[in-house]
Amino acid sequence: MKNMNFQVNLQGVIDLLSNHLYSEPGVFIRELLQNGVDAVTARKRLGHTFDEAVKVEIYSSHNISFTDNGCGLTEDEIDQFLARIGGSTKRDDQDSADDFIGQFGVGLLSCFVVSEEIVLITRSALEDDALEWRGKPDGTYSIKKLKRQVPIGTTVYLKAKPEFEEYFEYYRVSELLEKYGQYLPTTIMLVEDKFERTINESKPPWLLDKPEAMAYVEGITYNKPLDIIPLTSLIGGVNGIAHILPYAVSLQDEKKHRVYLKNMLLSDRMNNILPPWAFFVNGIINTNSLRPTASREAFQENDLFFAVRDELGECIKRYLIELADRDPDLFRRIVLIHYASIKTMAVEDDELYALFVRHLRFETSYGELTMAEILRDHKELLVTPTLDEYRQVARVARAQELMVINGGYVHDLDLVRKVTELDEDIKVDILNTLEFANQFEELDLEDKLTAQPFIDQSNALLEDFQCRALVRWFEPADIPVLYNTNQDVNFFRLAEESEQQANALFADVVRVIKDDLYDVPYAKLCFNYNNPMVRKAMEARDPHLRKASIELFYTQALLLGNHPMGPAELRMMNDSLLQFMNRGLDGAEVNR
Amino acid sequence: MKNRYDELRRSSWSMPEGKQKLAVLEEMIRIADQYMTEEDAYHARISYFTAASEAGAQERMITAFAWCLSKYDQSPSMYSRHELMWYYKWVIGMIWRFPVFSLMQIEAVFEDFKQRCIEYGYSLRPYYHKRSGFLLSRGLTQEAAECYKQWRGASRDGLADCRACEQNAFGHYLFAANQLKKGMQAVRPILDGKMSCHSIPQATYSEVMVPLLKLKQYEEAIAVGKKAFRVIKGPQFIEEQGVFLEFFTVTDLPKAVKIYNETIRYGLESKSSWERLNYLLSVRFFLREWHKKKRRKKLVEDGRVTLAWLDQEIAAAADAFDRRNGNDYMQTYMADKEKHMNRMIDAFQLQAE
Repeated sequence: MKNMNFQVNLQGVIDLLSNHLYSEPGVFIRELLQNGVDAVTARKRLGHTFDEAVKVEIYSSHNISFTDNGCGLTEDEIDQFLARIGGSTKRDDQDSADDFIGQFGVGLLSCFVVSEEIVLITRSALEDDALEWRGKPDGTYSIKKLKRQVPIGTTVYLKAKPEFEEYFEYYRVSELLEKYGQYLPTTIMLVEDKFERTINESKPPWLLDKPEAMAYVEGITYNKPLDIIPLTSLIGGVNGIAHILPYAVSLQDEKKHRVYLKNMLLSDRMNNILPPWAFFVNGIINTNSLRPTASREAFQENDLFFAVRDELGECIKRYLIELADRDPDLFRRIVLIHYASIKTMAVEDDELYALFVRHLRFETSYGELTMAEILRDHKELLVTPTLDEYRQVARVARAQELMVINGGYVHDLDLVRKVTELDEDIKVDILNTLEFANQFEELDLEDKLTAQPFIDQSNALLEDFQCRALVRWFEPADIPVLYNTNQDVNFFRLAEESEQQANALFADVVRVIKDDLYDVPYAKLCFNYNNPMVRKAMEARDPHLRKASIELFYTQALLLGNHPMGPAELRMMNDSLLQFMNRGLDGAEVNR
Repeated sequence: MKNRYDELRRSSWSMPEGKQKLAVLEEMIRIADQYMTEEDAYHARISYFTAASEAGAQERMITAFAWCLSKYDQSPSMYSRHELMWYYKWVIGMIWRFPVFSLMQIEAVFEDFKQRCIEYGYSLRPYYHKRSGFLLSRGLTQEAAECYKQWRGASRDGLADCRACEQNAFGHYLFAANQLKKGMQAVRPILDGKMSCHSIPQATYSEVMVPLLKLKQYEEAIAVGKKAFRVIKGPQFIEEQGVFLEFFTVTDLPKAVKIYNETIRYGLESKSSWERLNYLLSVRFFLREWHKKKRRKKLVEDGRVTLAWLDQEIAAAADAFDRRNGNDYMQTYMADKEKHMNRMIDAFQLQAE
């Protein structure tokens, strides 16, 4: 047996890593910064004292250099780490608490995205030799010892590839250095000609006190935040702030939290470091112990990650609970602006539910009210699962003095149903619109007898539309009929359509579903005996006229309720209207 | 009416899965049927498929599918064959879960699917995959094993489930066939985070709970339980939520109460099916433990969901399956589940709160 090694096409791998791992070419600045800072950290560990610094210098014709005075590399180390993809000087203690930012040994490859060659001059803190390493994207490299003396540290030289010159211009380099390195502890200097500038002078936002943080956020977003919530997670070594947005955000917006790993920007558009319900804040967060993915634009989503996320969510929750007592005005303002977000939160979390639900507004038969207002006068609540059902009953419900809440908007049904958890005396029922009309006042016997033929005729006429008629006396008088369906009616029509259209095999299948799993859902048409038009129609002697009135009541009810009408229903509406027009217009002629 | 259609469609996008979304889509289909083109009506139904199965109303998906299938047969050049077959695969994965369908009917649907696969040049992999589940549910271990072999042997093509889903399905089969260690091996890449998709690893968490407990790997079971609690949501997962309802009944009763309160209405709304039966078994286990003490806290729907009602519903559903299957496998199945639940109590020692 022979043991063999895989053969790797180096150029292919380098191309893959350098051109496909990262989302934009500018990350080479980040990778170089990171190598510099890590080298400085390593030299400090050796016990050296020195003025730690990373210096970036811009030369003519799109050349730049990155110099650090960190630990440097020996020839062995170069061999082992620089020239070996996936090896890293920083990897050994991956699971111990480490001060390094990088760990994968692929960072330097990102330079090949923008440069045809990497030249690296280094002197190790442990040796006196100065070494020059030249690497090419085809996977070849050379090392030579330099005769001249260089100080301890490493310098990387890059020359722009065509099309990437922009990344070697002063303004662009300065922008990228600021973006990634603004808060790094090691001094970072940018030099062009004789002009020198220090990039990282400001204090990181997670170390600012509240007024400073407010001013800082306003400075970068041009919006004054409603407030600042401090974030900490012990297990994740996280410090940060969450600023409450002063405007409403859509549920569908991608969240953009700014996240730093050991003071180096990891991503300014991370969407999942805070729990999904927290979309009314943007976070600026620094962590010491979460693990980045190889592209270093996100974290590995391991157990620690989720534990940290929960802990940060907890910070936001605590803040809100305290705020309700401490500053009720601000609390109300937050609720007002971030309504949708808060609703989502309240559904997910019992504590937040208890805190917020009284402040939330609902559409009810008594107008738009907060839950506190609803509960002031009503302990028995009815809620409709859909907006349509709510519309069907809302006006009448008010006249019946029933508190009906529209549960048709996102989360409202769940929010209302949960309200029994606040107080055992509260009762919540889901309104069955089909039975809704049954509770209206019945007619006395005499009126019933008068109405009966009309109702019988209605039932006969509407049987094909799966609709049954009844008559009651109810307020308000200006509503002639109440048409109620429930959700299954549309499905049932859909099933009938399927049964007719399907092949024999599936027609049978649908028949079983329709007949054995569902009951035929009849819609209800409730005539209002309190309405003069209805009375008039019931008293009519002429069966044709009565028929036309019934058809007109029915089709008008469909129209008013936004229900789709079939061809038969449309024909019915036109025929009945035509009959009245004929009667009216012809009658006028007879009278003349 | 086009306006109304568009308005409904817009609102459906922001709605969470569930009955309300279905109602909106059903109205859209009605409007499309009456006022728009057949193509509109077809596509309205296609978007209804996912919504219906996410809302735990698989029978509604099958109903709408029947219409699309016939429209496809009438004018095959108008619609995507692949899309249709993809959903047909769902149909054969669901249809046996309803005891109201006769074996003959189910076999005929499976056969139709198979013939179409052959005619259209698809691999029979999904056919064997779904069929092995059907066979296992009837206790036909021998036939299922044969089917599983054919499933693994058939080639993968565009109609097969994604790799993560299939890996999970291998696990599902092996667990159901009581090959626990092999099953754990199959789902290991998923649990290690190496394979995932829209529904994986969520679906895997509930798959491994019972095997982990049977293998006495309690630590890992607890860890999985914690993770799953965070991610499994919605009416399509009542069977899965049932698994965790059982687990938390013995390990963390307040969490069990939360799961029960959130899911019971899905259970009540769903039609008699395999999922519902399993879910109700879990609910009964929970309620039995719950009622061992006098408690002040009231559960949701406590008037309707009583132990007596559960006994009746469960017996009726199990009986419906047995009658359909022409055997008494459900009795064995439920006895096994019962045994597992008791073992779980022994393992975790019901803590007195």
